[in-house]
Amino acid sequence: MKEFLKKANFKGHLLTAISYLIPIVCGAGFVIAIGMAFGGKSQTTLIIGKFDFFQALATIGGQTLGMLPVIIATGIAFSIAGKPGIAPGFVVGLAANSISAGFIGGIIGGYIAGWIAFAVLKYVKVPDWAKGLMPTLIVPFLACIASGLIMVYIIGTPVSWFTAWLTALLKGLNGTSNLIFGAVLGILSIVDFGGPINKTAFAFALTLQAQGINGPVTALQLTNTATPIGFGLAFLIARMLHKNIYTHEEIETLKSTVPMGVVNIVEGSIPIVMNDIVRGVVAAGLGGMCEGAILMSLAHGEGATVPFGGFLMLPTMGKNWWVGLLAISANVLVTGVVYALIKKNISIDDEKINRQKEEEDISLDDIQVM
Amino acid sequence: MKIVGISACTVGIAHTYLAQQKIEDAAKKVGDEVKIETQGTIGTENKLTKEEIQEADIIILAVDVKISGEERFKGKKVVKVSTETAIKSPNKLVEKLHEIVEKEN
Repeated sequence: MKEFLKKANFKGHLLTAISYLIPIVCGAGFVIAIGMAFGGKSQTTLIIGKFDFFQALATIGGQTLGMLPVIIATGIAFSIAGKPGIAPGFVVGLAANSISAGFIGGIIGGYIAGWIAFAVLKYVKVPDWAKGLMPTLIVPFLACIASGLIMVYIIGTPVSWFTAWLTALLKGLNGTSNLIFGAVLGILSIVDFGGPINKTAFAFALTLQAQGINGPVTALQLTNTATPIGFGLAFLIARMLHKNIYTHEEIETLKSTVPMGVVNIVEGSIPIVMNDIVRGVVAAGLGGMCEGAILMSLAHGEGATVPFGGFLMLPTMGKNWWVGLLAISANVLVTGVVYALIKKNISIDDEKINRQKEEEDISLDDIQVM
Repeated sequence: MKIVGISACTVGIAHTYLAQQKIEDAAKKVGDEVKIETQGTIGTENKLTKEEIQEADIIILAVDVKISGEERFKGKKVVKVSTETAIKSPNKLVEKLHEIVEKEN
């Protein structure tokens, strides 16, 4: 089973697709945010003479965001089967859209389309004279019809039920459950500083955003924004307490960590946290918890229309921009204060020891030799 | 020893470049020649040439996502890890690469 999961590489294909998805959502998200901020509404069609500039913006962005199931399906199928995966991925994504299977349908459909394309490439053998038909007719036709029909007749309906149920559940969350949900999300998004847990939570939150629930992804990304800044603040607070918590090297690192945080790159804090992983995670986790709880409860699950951007996400939050700002500030403050308090005072000797600290051993599972 | 490779991560703005730097630093420290191509969201940078790949003793891929141009390494010894492994334990990784190359010869 473990071998199978590793071979199937579910996560790798999903992450590849997300890496193509992010710039599209960011671009479209900002466009729709500007349009909606000035009263534009996303339309199904733009009729010449019947719309204004901001309606145009909202529609451009809205149409693109409606295509997210198609984009994620295409990305996954491409990751699995390479170029021949693109056509069936696109088709199955549109099929998922038409049967209301949404983003989750797009994800599942992408795997199906990709594997079918892969299998056809591998197992369907044709005589030499028909070689030219393989990429132009046989692979795209077989993969498109098979994956499209599977989507429409087999998995589409249950997935659309599940999506509708999940959407209704999360939209119906009230004050306290929103608070808890936000707190959990905040912790999950930060405990491994951009690692696998963070990426899984991100994929989940992005799925919800594609269904029109913006709160979770905002909770997640504002934590990623605030944490590096919090570690910067810890330096100042520790100074006030006459404590020395960072080595010279770390102080140099902080100069790039903080600006990276402002633009939503949590990974900037990795070099800092690596040197004291337990205390770093505690400080960041507590901060994330406060941020998520504040954001999800005060904004009632509403959030930014873009899934990335740090402080730039705030203007896309409409009337809730101040909640976002408050959430970031709380996170920065909590992380900063906690880290400054629990981190041990270091002397110059410690600094040397720290530098020679052993690296983690690489487990053989992590290495793939080909 | 000559090491070349590619780094690429999901968002393509941070881990990609951290991994590149860590591997390059670790390899230089033990006297290796090294070049890591980055495939971030901005596109391919520090692109490997045909000659560099030809001359390399081993290929290291520190990747979380599908990369382009993997077929360039056909016939070479290729080692694949996540960017996280490369960032956390670059020196151990380079050590491992040496072991693998020595075993080959």
